[in-house]
Amino acid sequence: MIIPVRCFTCGKLIGDRWEEFARRIKTGENASDVLDSLGIKRYCCRRMLLSNVEIIDEVLRFYEEAEKRKEARNFY
Amino acid sequence: MKIEVLEKNETNLRLIIREVDVPLMNALRRIALAEVPSMAIDEVVMIENSSILQDEIIAHRLGLTPLKTDLDSYNLPEECSCKSEFGCNLCRVTLTLDAEAKEGTRTVYSGELVSENPEIVPVSDRVPIIKLAKGQKLKLEAYARLGKGKAHAKWQPVSMCAYKYYPKIEITSKNCENCTKCVDICPKKVLAIKDSKAEVRDLLACNLCMDCVEACPQEPKGITVAWEKNAFIMNIESTGALPPERVLQQATKILDKQLNEFEEQLKVEET
Ligand SMILES: [Zn+2]
Ligand SMILES: [Zn+2]
Repeated sequence: MIIPVRCFTCGKLIGDRWEEFARRIKTGENASDVLDSLGIKRYCCRRMLLSNVEIIDEVLRFYEEAEKRKEARNFY
Repeated sequence: MKIEVLEKNETNLRLIIREVDVPLMNALRRIALAEVPSMAIDEVVMIENSSILQDEIIAHRLGLTPLKTDLDSYNLPEECSCKSEFGCNLCRVTLTLDAEAKEGTRTVYSGELVSENPEIVPVSDRVPIIKLAKGQKLKLEAYARLGKGKAHAKWQPVSMCAYKYYPKIEITSKNCENCTKCVDICPKKVLAIKDSKAEVRDLLACNLCMDCVEACPQEPKGITVAWEKNAFIMNIESTGALPPERVLQQATKILDKQLNEFEEQLKVEET
């Protein structure tokens, strides 16, 4: 859904690194290098960022569409 | 006991500790994980939540957000003089959050939590708590308390606390034929070749896996890996709630207190 706050296994705070990670991956940087430069050393924490899918963006779209429909209905 | 600091910053502490034994090291490790208190949000009162995540999920995320802890001015709720379930100024901190997405989708960060004590704030103010679509609102009041790691992992002040034996590697030039097999197999790159001879490059990185000894084709082996009995490398990584050296100090204090209690109990039994 949304990036977990801490690593499931060791409890390191990783939530605050997600946005930088996602941004730099998008520019085509190598994931392993990005994780190294963010100071995420253990593989338990690395998989948290590597395997995360931000579904919340997609779920929010359902809400937005529903709101638009409501608005349209009120308009007519 | 002799302590040598290898590395020290706000979150990490690496030490060589000599002239101690395993029981003491393990007691300190376990106390650092399970007994050293730290601050975390424990109760959340939702005033308004029209977001797409349930109240419980948001409360859970808030609980896991590490808070900077002041151990000297706050008491554990069970040890506080107020004896109240709800808590008092000495055992509870109130944080509030009031967020609304006015123009389009936005992320609510931990930095938006307003604390009644400016010392007790989230370690990082860039932790995403939730995303709100336009028009959604999140309003809540959260109560942070001191707690121990053994009750919930959110109260653990360390994300890693581990120790290992101090390694001892010997390369016997008499038996070594410089085949470099041990150098190639080492996963931690402890060994290196210098002047066509294998030598130890980074002793402290060795995790005593013994792959190099197994890879050595010589008989008797050209390389031996052993460890010192009374020396350890300790590694503490704090979540940011407390400085790592403070965690260790507190762990020794708690161990001392527990041992005293144990001794008192023994005396009572005797009489
Ligand atoms: Zn981890
Ligand atoms: Zn109190």
